[in-house]
Amino acid sequence: MITKSYKIVNEQGLHMRPAGLVAAELGKFQSEVTIKFNGNDVNAKSIMNLMAACIKCGSEIEIIFNGSDEQQASEKFEELYANNFGD
Amino acid sequence: MKITDLLSKKAIKLGASPKDKNEAIDILVSLHEAAENISDKETYKKGILAREASGSTAVGEGIAIPHAKNAAVVKASLSAMTVPDGVDYEALDGKPSNLFFMIAAPEKGGDVHLEMLSRLTVMLMDAEFRNKLLSASDADEFLKIIDEKEIEKYGKEEESVEAKGEKFIVAVTACPTGIAHTFMAAEALEQAGEKLGIKVKVETNGSGGAKNVITAAEIAEADGVIIAADKNVDMPRFSGKKVLITKVSDGIHKPEELINTVLTGDVPVYKADEAAVKAASSSGEKEGIGRQIYKHLMNGVSNMLPFVVGGGILIALAFLIDTIAGNAEAGDSFGTVNGVAAWFKGIGNYAFNFMLPVLAGFIAKSIADRPGMMIGFAGGYIASVGATFNFHDTDSWVSAGFLGALLAGFIGGYLTLGLEKLADKVLPKSLDGIKPVLVYPLIGLLLVAIVMCAIDPVVGIINSGLNTFLDSIGTGSKIFLGCVLGGMMSIDMGGPFNKAAYTFATVGLAAQTDASFEIMAAVMVGGMVPPIACAIGTTFFKSKYTEGERKSTVVNYILGLCFISEGAIPFAAADPLRVIPSCIVGSAIAGGMSMGFGCMLRAPHGGLFVLPVIDNALGYLAALIVGSVVAGVMMSLLKRKKTA
Repeated sequence: MITKSYKIVNEQGLHMRPAGLVAAELGKFQSEVTIKFNGNDVNAKSIMNLMAACIKCGSEIEIIFNGSDEQQASEKFEELYANNFGD
Repeated sequence: MKITDLLSKKAIKLGASPKDKNEAIDILVSLHEAAENISDKETYKKGILAREASGSTAVGEGIAIPHAKNAAVVKASLSAMTVPDGVDYEALDGKPSNLFFMIAAPEKGGDVHLEMLSRLTVMLMDAEFRNKLLSASDADEFLKIIDEKEIEKYGKEEESVEAKGEKFIVAVTACPTGIAHTFMAAEALEQAGEKLGIKVKVETNGSGGAKNVITAAEIAEADGVIIAADKNVDMPRFSGKKVLITKVSDGIHKPEELINTVLTGDVPVYKADEAAVKAASSSGEKEGIGRQIYKHLMNGVSNMLPFVVGGGILIALAFLIDTIAGNAEAGDSFGTVNGVAAWFKGIGNYAFNFMLPVLAGFIAKSIADRPGMMIGFAGGYIASVGATFNFHDTDSWVSAGFLGALLAGFIGGYLTLGLEKLADKVLPKSLDGIKPVLVYPLIGLLLVAIVMCAIDPVVGIINSGLNTFLDSIGTGSKIFLGCVLGGMMSIDMGGPFNKAAYTFATVGLAAQTDASFEIMAAVMVGGMVPPIACAIGTTFFKSKYTEGERKSTVVNYILGLCFISEGAIPFAAADPLRVIPSCIVGSAIAGGMSMGFGCMLRAPHGGLFVLPVIDNALGYLAALIVGSVVAGVMMSLLKRKKTA
C-alpha cells in the first residue's frame, strides 16, 4: 500500500475535467485508489465520486494506492498532478 | 446555496427530443436565456462548446453536466432537461444521455461552480433519484424531487459557498430616517472592502425597509459583522459572531478602520440574550448612556412618524371638507358633520390611535430586541387609554399621553431585559425554546400592565388637581390664565396637562359666556403653536434638525394650522428637554396674547378653518405667529447641530 499527500493547486479545484482525467487514467489499473478528503473516503476511479467530493483549490488530500500495480498507479497520479491535471 | 435556488422553473424542460448534441446544447442555453440567467446567448454558448471540445461532460449513467464559467453569465444558475429517449452526447461510456444539467457560473464566482457540480453529483449518484427526475410530470414536481433529496442529503441548513481563504464581512447600516446616511455608509464600506480585497456585503435598513438582506448562510460564513447604525437593527441573527457595533457616521468616515478592526481586533462575540449587557458594556466613551437612550427614542419616533403624518393629514382634510360643506360653526361636531369629512376624520383617528403604542413598542424593541416589542406595544396602549386597575370605571381614565408612552416603552424594554436575565437563571435550558413564545410575552405583559396601571392613576390625580387649579385661577388675571392654559397645551400634547386645559375650555363652552369663548381661543392657539414652531425651526434652522424632521416641515405647518398638536410629538419625543420648554413658552405667550386681545372662539376645534368665526381674528393670528416664532427660534437655538 502506498500513501501520498498532495495539495490541489488547480484554480478551480478538482472540477469535472481533471476529475474525469484522474478517473479515466487510474481506471486502467487493477489497484484500488482511495482519496481521503474531508473525513471521507473517495473512490478515485469514479468521476462521479471525485466530483461529489468537492475538492477545492488549496485542499490537502491523501491518496492511497492498494493493489498489485500500486507503484505504477501512484506514478501515474504523480505525473497527472505534475501536469496540473491538464489545466 | 441550494440547487433549487439556482434552478428556476423557466429553466426546466421535460421530455425534450433533441436529435444530436448540438441541439441539446441549444435547448439548454435557450432555457438559461429564458430564465434571464445569461446576458448574451452566443458568448455563453461559445464557452459551453469550448468546454465540450476538451472532453465531453457526459459523465456516465445517462447524466451530462455541460458547464461554462463565462462573462455572459448574470448569476450562478442551472438549466435542466430530460430526454426520455436519450441522445448521443459523446459520453465516455458511449451510452446515450437522458438527464442534463447545464451550469452557468459567473466569471468571478469563486467556487460556486465546483459547489454546484459537487452537490449535483452527490445527488445524481442515486439511481432512484435519477429515475424519479426522469418520470417527473412537470417542472414543479421536478423541483420538489430535487428539494427533498437535497434536504435529505444536506439538511435544511444552507452550506457555505465561500472559499475558506477569502475574508468575508457582512455589515448592516441604518439611520433613524433611513434616507441618506444609511446608503452613504453602505457605499463607503463596500468601496473600502474592494480596496482592501475583502468581500463585504452590506444590508441597508433604510426607510424602504431592509435591502440587500443578509442571509443566514452568509452570516454563518462571515468572518465578522459590522453594525453601523443609529437605530436598532435585527440583532439575534448575529448571535455567536464577532460583531462590531458603531455609529452610522463611522461607516461613512472610517470604513477601512472598521473592517480592519473587525478582522484583526478583539471584537466581542455577540450573544442574543445579552443584547443589553453588550450595549451597556461596549458603550464606553464611544456610546454613552445618553446616546443609548437617544437611539432607543429615535427608533420609536421614526416608526411613529408615518402614523402622525398620514393620520394628521386625513384629519386636516376632514376639517377642510366640513368647512367647504359650510359646517364651520358646528361646534363640537365640526369635522364630522359631513359624511365624507366624518370618514376622513375617523380613519385619521384610527392611525392616530396607533401612535403611542408604536412609539412605546419600538422603543422597547430597540432596548430588548424582538421580545421587548410586544411588551412595549401593550404598555404604550395601556398608557394611551390611561388604564388603571379599576376597569369598572373606565370613564375616570385619563390618557397618559406621549410622555406616558415614552415611559411605557422604556419600562417595557428594560423589564424584558430583566426578565430575560431572570429566566436564564431560574428556568432550565430545556425551556429555552418556549421563552420567547410564551414566557416573555405572558410575564412581560402582566408586569408592564401592573406598572402602567399603577402609574396611570397618578396621571388622573394630576389631571384632577389641575382642574381644581384652573378653576381657582379662572377668576383671577385673564392674561395669566391664558398663559397657563396655552402653556399646558404644550407640556405633553395629549397627556394629562393638555387634557386638563382642553377639557377646562370645552366644558366651559357650555356656559356660552364671553369669558368661556376667550378661554377656548387661548387653549386652541396654545395647541396650534407646537407644530408650527417645529416647522419654523426646520425651515429656518435646517442644520439643527434631522433629515426626517426637515422633511416633515410642510406637514407640520398644515397640522399646526389645523390645531393638530400631535405633529410636534416626534420632535418632542426625540428631544424633550429642549423642545417641550420652548413650546410651552411659545404657547403661553400665544395664549396670553389671545386673552389680551380678547379673541373669542365658539368652536372647540378647527384651527385656521374656524378663523372667520373668531372675534378679533387678526389679533388671534398675531398671537399665533408670535408664539410660534418664539418657540421655533428658542428650540432651534437650544438644539445642537446635527452631525449624523
